Amino acid sequence: MIEIRNLYKRYHGPFGGNWVLKDINLTFPTNVSVGLIGRNGAGKSTLLRLIGGMDFPDKGVIDRKARVSWPIGLAGGFKGSMTGRQNVKFVARIHGVRKDIHQLIQRVQDFAEIGKSFDEPVSTYSSGMRSRLAFGLSLAFDFDVYLSDEATAVGDRAFKQKAKDAFNERVNSASLIMVSHSEGILKDLCQAGVLLEKGHAVWFDDINDAIEHYHNTSGKK
Amino acid sequence: MNNVAQPMPHEPRSALRVTWDVWSAMTLREFIARTTADRMAWFWMIFEPLATIGIMIFIRTYIRSSRHISGAEFIPWLIVGLMGFYLFRACMTQPIGAIDANKGLFTYRQISPVDPVLVRCWVEGALRSFIFLLFILIAALFKVDMSAYHAVGVLMDWLSLWALGSGLGVLFSVVAGLVPEVGRIIKMISFPLLILSGVIFPVTYFPHQAQEYMLYNPILHGLESMRMNYFQYYHSIQGIDMTYLWYWALSSMTLGLMMHIHFAPRLKMR
Repeated sequence: MIEIRNLYKRYHGPFGGNWVLKDINLTFPTNVSVGLIGRNGAGKSTLLRLIGGMDFPDKGVIDRKARVSWPIGLAGGFKGSMTGRQNVKFVARIHGVRKDIHQLIQRVQDFAEIGKSFDEPVSTYSSGMRSRLAFGLSLAFDFDVYLSDEATAVGDRAFKQKAKDAFNERVNSASLIMVSHSEGILKDLCQAGVLLEKGHAVWFDDINDAIEHYHNTSGKK
Repeated sequence: MNNVAQPMPHEPRSALRVTWDVWSAMTLREFIARTTADRMAWFWMIFEPLATIGIMIFIRTYIRSSRHISGAEFIPWLIVGLMGFYLFRACMTQPIGAIDANKGLFTYRQISPVDPVLVRCWVEGALRSFIFLLFILIAALFKVDMSAYHAVGVLMDWLSLWALGSGLGVLFSVVAGLVPEVGRIIKMISFPLLILSGVIFPVTYFPHQAQEYMLYNPILHGLESMRMNYFQYYHSIQGIDMTYLWYWALSSMTLGLMMHIHFAPRLKMR
C-alpha cells in the first residue's frame, strides 16, 4: 500500500514556479494496478517520480508500505565503461541481494537476450540493447509495485510483446502504477485510474471511468 | 520466471543495512571505474607522482644545486611530502565531480548524493595509501632508505591528512553542486597550495614573516608533522600543531554533512 498525504510539488525555476501538484491525497491499495492519466504537463511523470522516491515533495508525505521499483526501463544508471553484468551486479547489491546474486543475473540475462554483449561494456550497446537490459533488470527483482513511464518503455515488436507478457504474469503477485497515453495498454493492464488535472488528482475505481472523464474534460477545452 | 525463488530480501532492510549495501556496492564500482577507466589508468596513477619526483630531483640537482634539507635526505623527504599532498588533494577534488558523475544513479532512491562523495573519499584514500606503500618499496629497490622513524606517528598524520581532505571534499562537493564555478576555482588553487604547503621547497627556506602566515594553512601542519615523525633528525618551524588541522577537518566535515542533509533534494534534482 502506498499512501500520499497532502502532497505539494513545484519546480523552482529562476522566476519561482507554479505548483505542479497541489494537495494530493491518494491511497494506492495493494494489488490494484493504477493508470495515471492527464494532459501533457499535468504532472503525471512528476507524481510517478515522487512515488519512486527519485524526487522530493515540497510538502506532504509519501508512505511506502511496499517494495516499490524505480521507473521500469530507466537506463540512466548504467556506467558505460562497465559491462552489462557488472552493472546488473551493482544494482543487485544496492537492493540487498547477496546470496542469490547469480540467480538474479541469470534472470536478467535470460530476459534481455543480448547474448555475448552481456559481458561487453555498456557503451558499446545500441539503444535497443540498453533498454532490453534495463527492462530485464527491473523485472528480475520481485517488487510489490512496479512503476512505468511510457517515455522510458521502448524496444522492438517482439520485445514489447515479451515485456507485456511479463507484466501480465506479474499482475497476480504485484501491481503496477503506470503513465501512458495509449488507452489500450491502460485498459489491458490497469484496474483503477487517477486523473490529474490542474494539479489536482481524482481517483477512479474503474480505469474506464477515468478515461471517459478525461475525454469529457479534455474535449470541452 | 515466477517460480524461481525470490532473490530479494523480503523484510524491509534497516536504514543502516541499506547504507551499508549502497556503500559496499559503490566502493566496488568506484574501484573498478577508477582502475579500468582506460588501459593506462593504473600506469598514470603511479607514473604521475613518479614523473613529478623525477622533475623535482632534476631541478634540485642541476638548477638550484642545493640538495640540503636539515635532518633528512632530499628524495625521501620529497616523496613523503608529495604523497601526503596528493592524498589530501585527491580527497578534496575528486568528490567534487562525484555527484555529477553519478547522477544517473539517483534513479535508485536508496542512493543519496552524499553516498558517492563519501565513497570517493574512501576509495581515493585507499588508492593513495597503496601507491605510497608501493613507492616506499620502489625506493627500497633503488637503495633509498624509506623506513619511518616513528611509524605509528606517520600513520596518524597520514590519516589526519586523509580526514582533512575528505572533510573539505564533502563540504566542497555540496558547494560546487550548488555553485558550479566553485569546483573550477578549487581545482585552480591546488597548485599554489602545493607550494604554500612546503611540499617542494622546505618551509624553513621562507622568510620568518611569511612562515607566520603559512601556518594558517592546515595542510602544512599535517605534512611537516608527518615528516618530523618520518625522519628522526628533521627540524621544522615552530608552531606545528595537529589539533589545528583537526579543527579544520572536523568542522569542515560537520558543516559539509549538514549541508548535504539540507540540500539533498536540490543536489539530487539538479
